[in-house]
Amino acid sequence: MSSRRSHSRHSSASRITEEEINELVSKLQMMLPDAPISRNSRVSARKVLQETCSYIRSLHQEVDDLSEKLSELLASTDTDSAEAAILRSLLMQ
Amino acid sequence: MEAESSTSNQQRKRKRSASESSEKPAQSTWRSDKEHRLYSSKLLEALRRVRSGSGSSSPRTDPPRSRAVREAADRALAISARGRTRWSRAILSSRSIKLKSNRIRVPCPARPKRTELERIQSAADQEKKKSVVLQSKAKVLGRLVPGCKKLSFPTLLEEASDYIKALEMQVKAMSALTEILSMFGGGTEGAPGMVQDAGAGTSTGTDSMPPPA
Repeated sequence: MSSRRSHSRHSSASRITEEEINELVSKLQMMLPDAPISRNSRVSARKVLQETCSYIRSLHQEVDDLSEKLSELLASTDTDSAEAAILRSLLMQ
Repeated sequence: MEAESSTSNQQRKRKRSASESSEKPAQSTWRSDKEHRLYSSKLLEALRRVRSGSGSSSPRTDPPRSRAVREAADRALAISARGRTRWSRAILSSRSIKLKSNRIRVPCPARPKRTELERIQSAADQEKKKSVVLQSKAKVLGRLVPGCKKLSFPTLLEEASDYIKALEMQVKAMSALTEILSMFGGGTEGAPGMVQDAGAGTSTGTDSMPPPA
């Protein structure tokens, strides 16, 4: 993957080399949920960025939903005993 | 501290069997010890909010209250990052400044990098096309990750990858917390990993939740 290209005009112009970008993009791609385990040599960086954005959005959504559920639960349970129960469960886990 | 580490070890085992997410050998920090600390900080935050906010409003789905939970969770997440990443610092600074209705910009050398990107564009046609598309995508990404609107491309990608890992942990921690609370509230044991449809929308919190079969 780290094929040394002689596109040095980029590396001399800025510190952002294409290699760097590709490496980071592939690293990012591996974190996505549908990441192919085999190394695709040519993964569209645009696609990876796109999926990253949608993945982050879905994670945000999940967190929001969980916050809502949590707020409901917290409201409906007795706080002090809830805290005690939580701590107890944590220690037991 | 020792008790914490041992429980976090057990937690890790449990999480490994419970979740099916792939293991990240390189940056496992978000999976182990910090997870436990995030738990503790978030618990205190969320419960404190409830204590201060309860009694006045109905136990229905309060937009401000769920918002408060979300913000508390985000803040606990950012604290757990311990200032290593920009997004965490941005969350923390923007939260405190929000009271004063002001905005803090994380100082980044944005301008010079952008012109450099444009220079890359004008260099070659094919590269130009790719860079333009990448730039627009990167902008969208920069808006999603807090505090990263004007970062250089590689920095943005790094921040994004760390942010994703942190978010995944946040989701896991919050779902586990929800499970615990619902178990406690319902009074039944043996709830599955993820509590789905807990209460079926707006519940007034009077009755216990039926255990999902």
